[in-house]
Parts: sequence; C-alpha cells; structure tokens
Amino acid sequence: MGAIKSVEQLEAYRRELAAAARPELPTVLVCFGTGCQANGARPVAEAFMDVIKEQGLEIDVNVGIKTTGCHGYCENGPLVALRPQDILYLKVKPEDVPEIVEETVKGGRVVERLVYRDKATGEAVARYSEIPFYRHQQRIALRHIGTIDPASIDDYILAGGYAGLTKALAMKPDDIISEVERSGLRGRGGGGFPAGTKWRSCVAVESDVRYVLCNGDEGDPGAFMDRSIMEGDPHSVIEGMIIGAYALGSHQGYIYVRDEYPLAIRNLTAALEAAREKGLLGEDILGSGFSFDIKISRGGGAFVCGESSALMRSVAGEVGEPRAKYIRSVERGLYDKPTVLNNVETWANVPEIILKGADWYASIGTEGSKGTKVFSLVGKVNNTGLVEVPMGISIRELVENIGGGILGGKEFKAVQTGGPSGGCIPERLADLPIDFDSLTEAGSMMGSGGIIVMDEDTCMVDVARYFTGFLVEESCGKCTPCRDGLPRMLDLLTEITEGCGGEEHLAMLEGLCDLLTWGALCGLGTSAANPVLSTIKYFRDEYEAHIRDKRCPAGVCKALITYHIDPEACTGCRLCAKNCPQECITGKRKEPHTIDADKCIKCGVCKDVCTFDAVRIS
Amino acid sequence: MEKVSVVIDGRTFEAVKDRCVLEVAHENGIYIPSLCYNSEVPSSGGSCRVCLVEAHQGGRMRLVTACNYPVRKGLEVKTDTPLVHRIRRGVLELLLARVPDSEVIREMAASEGIAEVRFRKDEGENERYKCIACALCTNVCAEVVGVHAIAMTERGADKKPATPYDKPSEVCIGCGACAYACPTGAITMKEKDGVRRIWHRDFQMVRCSVCGTPYIPQAQVDWIVSRTGKDRSFFDKCPDHR
Ligand SMILES: Cc1cc2nc3c(=O)[nH]c(=O)nc-3n(C[C@H](O)[C@H](O)[C@H](O)COP(=O)(O)O)c2cc1C
Ligand code: SF4
Ligand code: SF4
Ligand code: SF4
Ligand code: SF4
Ligand code: SF4
Ligand code: FES
Ligand code: FES
Repeated sequence: MGAIKSVEQLEAYRRELAAAARPELPTVLVCFGTGCQANGARPVAEAFMDVIKEQGLEIDVNVGIKTTGCHGYCENGPLVALRPQDILYLKVKPEDVPEIVEETVKGGRVVERLVYRDKATGEAVARYSEIPFYRHQQRIALRHIGTIDPASIDDYILAGGYAGLTKALAMKPDDIISEVERSGLRGRGGGGFPAGTKWRSCVAVESDVRYVLCNGDEGDPGAFMDRSIMEGDPHSVIEGMIIGAYALGSHQGYIYVRDEYPLAIRNLTAALEAAREKGLLGEDILGSGFSFDIKISRGGGAFVCGESSALMRSVAGEVGEPRAKYIRSVERGLYDKPTVLNNVETWANVPEIILKGADWYASIGTEGSKGTKVFSLVGKVNNTGLVEVPMGISIRELVENIGGGILGGKEFKAVQTGGPSGGCIPERLADLPIDFDSLTEAGSMMGSGGIIVMDEDTCMVDVARYFTGFLVEESCGKCTPCRDGLPRMLDLLTEITEGCGGEEHLAMLEGLCDLLTWGALCGLGTSAANPVLSTIKYFRDEYEAHIRDKRCPAGVCKALITYHIDPEACTGCRLCAKNCPQECITGKRKEPHTIDADKCIKCGVCKDVCTFDAVRIS
Repeated sequence: MEKVSVVIDGRTFEAVKDRCVLEVAHENGIYIPSLCYNSEVPSSGGSCRVCLVEAHQGGRMRLVTACNYPVRKGLEVKTDTPLVHRIRRGVLELLLARVPDSEVIREMAASEGIAEVRFRKDEGENERYKCIACALCTNVCAEVVGVHAIAMTERGADKKPATPYDKPSEVCIGCGACAYACPTGAITMKEKDGVRRIWHRDFQMVRCSVCGTPYIPQAQVDWIVSRTGKDRSFFDKCPDHR
C-alpha cells in the first residue's frame, strides 16, 4: 500500500496486519546481528529455508522465518529463537537445522544439546525467558530487538510501532516536551543531561530553522548498544526523532553513524525509505501538516567525533574536531542554528515514553536516574553481551545474576565503567547502585554503558596505562592539557609498570589529572583522568607495590615478574617445553622441569598450557 | 549594541555583550596571558589554554578560556586565584616540555615561577621546532588572508600546521601573515637577494621603484590584483613611498 494519510488510516493498517498475522504459526527467528552473521547465521537461515521448502507441502506446517537484530548474546551465536515454544538455541550450525525442524518445529520437543547451560550449575534452560541472562533484564530501548525483522516496517507497526507518534501528533508540542521532562529521561550518550531540559531550552531560542540530531558514533571500544538498536530496530530511533522534531518544530534531522557500521547504515537507510513510503516521514506526515525528513551522515570514525561540537562540524562537512565555544548548541549548533543532539538509545526511549506516559517511565529506576539503561557487559564474567536493566541495579547483581559470576571461579576484583575515560570501581563497592550520580560520585561515570569486569589477575596500574594509551591515540591534539599532558601521563604509568617509578610519580600523575580535569577543551580531556585517579584512589597499594617493592601483585607487568615451575606440582609432562617459543624449559620426562629465566621472554605460554597449574609467577 | 556590566577581579566594567573576557580585561588594564588568540581572526583561541580564568555565573564556577568566553549579564571573572595560577602553571610546564627552545614560552613560564620541567621534553627526533600547535597560522591564512595554503595535520602530540603533503603549496602567496601571527616564531621565513622562502617555496619579491627594497612577493601582488582589480602599478612603490 502507498502513503498512509491519517492517524486513523495507520490504526486501520495496524488492525489489518494483526488480522493477517497468525501468531499460532511456528516462527523461526534467526539472529542476523553483526555478531551472529560473523558466526555464520546466514547459512543457518538458508538451511531453514531449504528444509521448509523441501518439506513444506507434505507437512502442512507453515513456518515464518525472520531475520532479527542482535539479542545481545553474540558470544553464543548464531542464535535461533523459536516461537510459540519460546525456545532459544545457541551456536546453531546448518547441520542442526533438520533436527530442529523435526523435533522442535513439528514435534514441540527440545533439542537438549543446543540449549543454554548454566555454567555454574550445569543445568539446562530451554526457555528463552528463563535464561538468567534475560530473566533479570527489563527491555525498553531494546523492546523489539530480536523479535522483529528490522527490514520490515510492517513488523514494527504490528508490534505497536508509530503509535507513540500518532499519540504525539494529537498533543501540543509543548506538552510533549513536558512529558519528556516529567519522565526524567537523561541522555544515554554519556553526559546524562536531562533530555526534556535540553529540548525546552532549544525551543526557547527564536529561530525559523532547527535541527534534531542523533548521535550514532559509538566510538567506545567494545561497546555495541547503539549499533544493535540501529541495526535491530531502526524505526524506534526514527520514530523518536520524528516525535522530537514535531515537539521542537524542526524539519530536518540527521543520524550520524560511523562508517564501521555498514549494517546499521543499510538498515537505517532502508527504514527511512520505508517510513517515507508510508507517509511517516517527508511532507505532511500522516496528514498532520507537519513535515520532517532525516538524512544519514557518515562519520570517519575517530572517537572524538562523537563529541557534540565535533559531530556537528563533521555533519556540516568540516573537520570533526571539537570547537572551543561557550554558546550552547541548543542556541547555535549545526550550521549555527538551534540544535538538539541526542544519543541513539535516548531517541529509542522517546516513543515508549509518549505512548505509556511519563509516570510509567519515571516509576522505573532511581530518584535521579529514571528508566532503564543498556549495558555492554564484557570481561571476566561467564555471560557477556548486551543487557538492559533498570537504573539502580547494583554492580554485584549485574555481575552475578546476569553475568553469571566471574569466569573460572576467580575472585571478582573491580569493574571499569563508562568507556575508555571511565573509572574503576573495586569489588568492595560492588553494592553501589548503577546510576548516573552514584557512578560519578565513585570517581567513574555511566558513559555510554560499557562495563568491563576484572578478576584477581588484573593489574590496576596496567589497566590505567592501557586506557590512557587509548586516549593518547584518540586525542585530537587541539588543546595543550590533553595533547601534551596525556603522553606524559602515559610515560609515568609506563615507567611505574616497568619498575622505574619513584614516589614523585604519583604526585606528578595527580597533578596532570588535575590539569586535564580543569583545563582541557572537550569531554575527552576533562574525563581522561578517571582511569588514573580512580585506580590511585582504590588501589593505591598496588601502585606502591610497583614503586616501592618493584612488585606487580597481580603478576601482569612483565618487567616485575618471573616465571618458575613448582617442582612439587610439576609432573614432567613436557607440554610447556614443547610450546615455549624460547625453548628455555628443560627437564626429563616425568621429572620436574625448570625455566631458564635469562632466556624467558615472559610470554605466559607455559602457564597457559600447563594442566597441573605448576607454572607460577612471582 | 547591548551593553552589560561585568565584574573582573572585583572591579565593575561596562562592556558590549558577547565580547570576549580577554579583550574586556586587556582594555581595562587587567593582564591575562594569551598565545593562540588574535582578535582579527574569528576562529582563533581556545587551544593553548594559558588564558584560563574563573567564571562565576548563576552560582556556578568554571574555568573558561578568556579569549572566547562571552561577557554576559551577571558574570564575575577572577583572573588571579590560586586555581587559575595552578592550572596556568600546569599548562606552561607542558608547553615548555614541548618547545623548550621557545623564548616566548620560557619567559611566560618563568613569570609563573617555572624554570625547569619535570617531564620528558620533546627533543631529538620529537623536536617540535617551537610550534605549540595552536592553529593561529592556519586560521590566519584561511580567515584573514583568504587563502587555504596550510592546514593542521596529524592528531595528538604530532598535530602541526603543514602544506598539503608537506610539498610547496600552489596557492600560497608568500604573504607571511602566518609567520607574523605565530606566537612563538615557529614559522621560518627567510629573505635573501629579493627572494623570500616560506613553506618550502621561493617567492620572487617586488622591489620598490623608489628605494629599491624588495617588499612584497610577486605572487601576492598577482593575487590582490586578481581579487580586487586594483591597478598593478599601485605596487610599484612600497607603502613608505606611495
Ligand atoms: C570524546 C567524546 C566522545 C563521545 N562519543 C559519543 C558517542 O559515541 N555517542 C554518543 O551518543 N555520545 C557521545 N558523546 C557525548 C556527546 O557529546 C553528547 O553529549 C551526546 O551525544 C548527547 O546526547 P544525549 O544527551 O542523548 O546523551 C561523546 C562525548 C565526548 C566528550
Ligand atoms: S581535550 Fe583532547 S580531544 Fe578534546 S579538544 Fe582537547 S586535545 Fe582534542
Ligand atoms: S606443563 Fe606443567 S606439569 Fe607439564 S612439564 Fe610443564 S610445568 Fe610440568
Ligand atoms: S613464559 Fe614463555 S618464554 Fe618464558 S618459559 Fe614460559 S613459555 Fe617460555
Ligand atoms: S604565507 Fe602562505 S601559508 Fe602563510 S598566510 Fe600567506 S598564503 Fe597562507
Ligand atoms: S606554527 Fe605557530 S601559529 Fe602555527 S600552530 Fe605552530 S605555534 Fe601556532
Ligand atoms: S548478533 Fe546475534 S546475539 Fe548479537
Ligand atoms: S589564548 Fe585563550 S586559549 Fe589560547
């Protein structure tokens, strides 16, 4: 069908779709997120198509097959979900497909070997919703991801999509802003600035032209929440932006996406096209008289391009570098016009807030941080992936209930939150609620929601050095504290990890942190002290061990450790000797081996291969 | 023009709304150091950070760069507090570590009591040749001269102004505005026998028909003539003999 010309027509269309849908039909949902595609989702989907085609007529089972966005559990991909049985299979291969069709689709039975198994208890969990990784989640921004086909606008509409928009179009623009204000929604891109307040101050500025922007740059290494939303549910972002544009009186929007996200660009482009065709974008949206369109702007990919002034310059075709200015972008932003920039996840929340109301949204989360937040949980936990939880959940709940505890039964040491310029929070503070203000108070930040779990084998000085190194590479070089201060900070940290640090190193580090925090031009520099300051604050003893005792307590810093073999534990299996790249392990079969410390390059291979835990670090 | 009153170091001044704090302070005899700012160059400022001052407004205090912070109603600026000096010293120590040979930086650092740096200096293969990467030269070239002969290249500590691919630029007119504007004298411009060398390129100079002094590059004359339609003969004489 062509363009939908009124709100009534859209609702009629939704009813039509609902009448044609047959929810009782078995549905196979193959995850087509970037992670699962890399793990071979396409051949699996093709295998399903083949089997269905082959058997289709005989067995009178009509199987709908869908390709969806990322379920957040990529590590276990390709993922296949089956409805109505509510079963999730992990690591599915094309060979498994005939069995799945026979057993589950036709017979309703579970293929045991493909289901999730709790790493701690070994218990098998077949039902999607009962898997601990999902059971503790509450999905608002990720509401459709994994259940709808991002390439199908009908899927989105059938799932209730664009109902937020139809409700908004019946409201006064001012009331929409009030609703967003009352919801307490804070920006999900890092700063946590209240979205409603930003919108309000933008409309207060007189102008005939206004822009709404979506920040899909997502430069944090390891973070993929925004990518998942753009890939798996692009219409939620588009709908949010249309509502925002209507409230703000804007007629042009831009979605800034990094070039490294080709699938996001493709799915967004197709979604924009589909929305235009349906009359949801462009001239006279749904017959309301309101016109608005969105363009995609592709970013070159530097981390700092995600910073708001750099992003706006980049969209305008200039060098993507932060600009020193004190006039806010709600007054003078893109092309010097009043501009509202919000993050992908922020926009994706907007339609639900309008549809279900500010009170509903504000009932979730904490006093100062409402709603849910999507996190990318990685590091030394059993379950890694994308999770969406209510604000205020404790670090421990996240690590233990959803993450399934620390990998290999090791000790939980710390979490690093907030991306490369976030801070580290020690295990003893793990009952801290995860919300904007608590994290900032603890010396870290929410950032865009990256959470890296660290175990006892992590050296905190090395962690600070690692993140500072990342920031040195990403500094645009425009202002002195960041351009010339960060490399000095890296020098000092490297010297400490190499055992050449003196007492004065800590004071010098703290001095540079102070300078960056007060003196840098953009957020990259002003938050760059977090990794260093937080580790000095919570793990000062570790710095002191490196400086005073020339010792790395976690056994990570190569200059400060030696490898040796415990003769009591060594069985003389020769495995380490065979694998040592330096050929510096000697010993007779079935007798304890020894390492020639002079030749050893501390690569750790011997420790990794030894099954008797006989290789020790001191 | 709308005027507002602003307090700087306890004294109240009338100033045009949205002018920058640095200029208002300087006009009233209050010293704030600066390196990367030039009032003739719209995009300049904000980069070196030596002009950071305390801005108190709406019950909130921030450190802001005086060279681009607009004066608005109710603003109170403090240029001489322990915080301002602490951060300024930090900035100057880093600049001194970057360009230990720059007299300008050495003097400015000395006035804040810094004689030696505690950090690694950029010397040897990391020598920055006095350049503090402030971008004033590239801004002057683009915004004042109207030529885009140089641009900031590289990132992080290696950021520097350069012609495309470090080759002689075809559009450069040899006017030297970039070199005159550079706060640290980091751009070499040499003249010998009526030939000026700047940015890897030699420019033939036009001599004054009266005194015989080579005073303007031929390329610059050509450029002005083509842009403004001014009579070429105008450039026969140097400004002193016109
Ligand atoms: C160095 C730097 C990188 C940033 N990168 C991103 C990013 O990748 N995505 C994002 O949404 N915000 C990023 N931000 C935050 C944006 O500047 C801006 O605050 C945000 O997009 C506003 O949207 P929100 O209020 O919805 O969070 C970054 C900020 C800095 C300082
Ligand atoms: S803080 Fe760093 S990234 Fe930001 S403008 Fe300064 S140099 Fe560039
Ligand atoms: S692998 Fe372990 S047990 Fe085997 S020889 Fe080496 S140290 Fe001994
Ligand atoms: S650490 Fe590497 S080099 Fe050293 S003994 Fe073990 S395997 Fe050989
Ligand atoms: S000399 Fe060349 S680079 Fe310098 S300002 Fe003039 S035109 Fe630009
Ligand atoms: S050459 Fe001079 S003006 Fe140009 S960036 Fe370097 S210090 Fe600044
Ligand atoms: S891509 Fe399939 S779960 Fe993430
Ligand atoms: S003079 Fe203000 S930042 Fe350089």
